[in-house]
Amino acid sequence: MALAIRFALFGCTNRPFFHIVVMEKRRAQRSGKIKEMIGSYDPMPNQDNQKLVAVDFQKLQQWLGFGAVPTKHVAELLGLGGFYPIHPMSYIKAKRKRKLMEKQPADMQAKEETQETAAIQVNEDTQPDSTEDASQ
Amino acid sequence: MAASMKCAWARCLSTILLNSTKHRCQISQPLYASCSNISGDSGEGGTDQTGQEAGLADDTKKHRRDPGKAFTDVRVQKILLRLTGLDLDKVYEYRAAKGAGVAKVALMSDQQLKKVYESASYKALRKLQMPPVLGAREPIDEVLSEDPELEGLNTSKLVFIDISQRVPLKKRTIVVREPNGTLRKASWEERDVTLQKYFPQSGRKIGLPRMFQQDNLECMLDDGKHEYILNRACSQFEIDDPEYIRVTQRTYEHIHSNGKFEDLRSTRHFGPMIFYFTYYKKIDKLLVAFLEEESLEDSVDLVKLYHIVHPSCKSAEKVASMPDPTPLEIIGAFAEMDATQKSLVQQAIQTYEKECDSTDSTQLRR
Repeated sequence: MALAIRFALFGCTNRPFFHIVVMEKRRAQRSGKIKEMIGSYDPMPNQDNQKLVAVDFQKLQQWLGFGAVPTKHVAELLGLGGFYPIHPMSYIKAKRKRKLMEKQPADMQAKEETQETAAIQVNEDTQPDSTEDASQ
Repeated sequence: MAASMKCAWARCLSTILLNSTKHRCQISQPLYASCSNISGDSGEGGTDQTGQEAGLADDTKKHRRDPGKAFTDVRVQKILLRLTGLDLDKVYEYRAAKGAGVAKVALMSDQQLKKVYESASYKALRKLQMPPVLGAREPIDEVLSEDPELEGLNTSKLVFIDISQRVPLKKRTIVVREPNGTLRKASWEERDVTLQKYFPQSGRKIGLPRMFQQDNLECMLDDGKHEYILNRACSQFEIDDPEYIRVTQRTYEHIHSNGKFEDLRSTRHFGPMIFYFTYYKKIDKLLVAFLEEESLEDSVDLVKLYHIVHPSCKSAEKVASMPDPTPLEIIGAFAEMDATQKSLVQQAIQTYEKECDSTDSTQLRR
């Protein structure tokens, strides 16, 4: 028995929603064998650009005392919330994303420039030459 | 409210409270404490607590920011309760609302009727519990941790709320992890919204209801819906929310400019309104209104309230020096020394005295 504190994916297509539950690590999440639900995590930001996480910390501590082990992603989330120290993967992911963002603007800029030049070319080709019209 | 009815109510109240042991534990302690001092006699201030109340004694900046200390004073509560009055017809007025039942008709003996009347009066006290007047809450500004290395992980904020059982709403931990990596405590606005999502309270909406936006509020006020606005503000906001203070103060000002003080009489908002005017020294128009109604007790109560809330004012010192002041003398002292619209108040006093002399029936009570 590997008792875990893990996410259980509910919601529907294109709309994920996680319950934070205590159940065996390898079980299917919708098998109905959840021991207890101790929170929720909504990965889609709301109107105020917030992702809501609710955790029953009293219950969490009880289950941790009972031997439940949080999974990687739950541990990351709890680290961000201040319950655990920040997970090393959080730092690594952040660094990777920063790197990507640094590259992306340069790529984006190059893309925009090529698009602009293409648009100008098109305009020049389609506009009638004024000297030609006048002569006709 | 006629003086005789007032006195009868005060007697009824004291009888209920002192004799009804069954209900004693239910009433809130501050309210009970304020009521138990009423013994049906006229307006002398009861046992004066000498200068122990910090916050009333000095009119400093700190005091100005926190009317709560003055409001919760027992003497203040006592006067406000007396001024509010108890009009059973108004308190038990039919309101079209969810759960409003059909009125029952019953055949009763005189004794049974008396009992029902008493219990109704007692229950009405609960309906007249005043929402406290407090200063605006201090903003929450606490940073728990700074982690700039998390920059770029999320483009949105992560809001964490503790949903443990049996934790009072005000003590629930709500923290926010910003996209730049800072972990901080949630602000009051964030707290209110998040708590309403996870622990919804009936009658509250998430975010500001459109009714309380400035333009819409003005429309409602012009329609005369003061009680409705105040009731809804009570259910929507926390009492130390700056929005609640804005809405209630705007409503009181509107009532003041239209002179419609009696609209709120015998509701739970009358006390806070009177206190607001007293605290911010705007009681002239109110005093004139009371005198025009010929309720001397109310007028004297108001001036006495003013003296309790602003003990350093000139008329308070003068009245304290007088050996045994009559009600009119107390009001006169206030009019002379502390009224902002002196002539108006003095004229009202003169008119009242004329009315008294002409009718010849009113006794100047001590």
